[in-house]
Amino acid sequence: MNPNEKDLQIQLSQPNKRAGAFSTLVRSYQERLYWHIRKMVLSHEDANDVLQNTFMKAWNGLDGFRGDSQVSTWLYRIATNETLTFLANKRMRNLQSIDNDEDMMLQNLQADTYLNGNELQLKLQKAILTLPEKQRLVFNMKYFDDITYEQMESILGTSVGALKASYHHAVKKIEKIFSEEE
Amino acid sequence: MKTNKNISFEEIGKELPFSVPENYFEQFASRIDEQIGYKSSGARKLFKPWMYMAAAVFVGIMVLTPVSYNVNNKRVIAQNKDSYESYVLSQVDETALMDCYVDDASKK
Repeated sequence: MNPNEKDLQIQLSQPNKRAGAFSTLVRSYQERLYWHIRKMVLSHEDANDVLQNTFMKAWNGLDGFRGDSQVSTWLYRIATNETLTFLANKRMRNLQSIDNDEDMMLQNLQADTYLNGNELQLKLQKAILTLPEKQRLVFNMKYFDDITYEQMESILGTSVGALKASYHHAVKKIEKIFSEEE
Repeated sequence: MKTNKNISFEEIGKELPFSVPENYFEQFASRIDEQIGYKSSGARKLFKPWMYMAAAVFVGIMVLTPVSYNVNNKRVIAQNKDSYESYVLSQVDETALMDCYVDDASKK
């Protein structure tokens, strides 16, 4: 489903059509946003919670959405903020029990019931976990979703040049990990 | 993007090693619908717009028919009453009618 963003924006601003338009919005973007979040939090249960928070925040903040950016960019921005906040809170909760971020995320990855895929795919996920959080975000968005640097710039608020450098470093680091493992 | 030991990103591919529970997205969307107070699409699909129109017309007819009947009925009764009075008056001459009024007044 690829709704006309302009029409949706108009309907979202009309009180009598708002809920219907938002329902369409959820159905249109839920999968994309789910995978965007899931790649960062790894477990399905956590991704589900963050996705729900994302849409409820969007619903409650509809009046603040002025249409300066695309609806999709706005939703991605909320989803990214919610994801990073969720991870920061989780980090705080696990501060004493787990040595570092990577271990915490590795535990998340291994404990997930909805984990399948082959050995190489899992190896890539583990390599991605060694990256700093922002680099992990950039790598996931570029590698798996093929989001353009320009789109990423409007979602993350980081310049195209910095995003390109970030992705380049991420790729090099993952390649190094692979080469050391062989 | 080849690595030194021939492991490549191309070989790994872009698929994620994750899955979701069956019907997850359908259920998720319905849950959000509930939270924002939007009637689920299932309920909306059950009745098509023309069905709502037909129901509205039917209810309208049912409500308005007795009203219209009563109004018409009262009009007929009123007309009958008028013509009955005219008939009685036409059968009585003016003198008899005056006698009747005078008798009635003297009794009171």
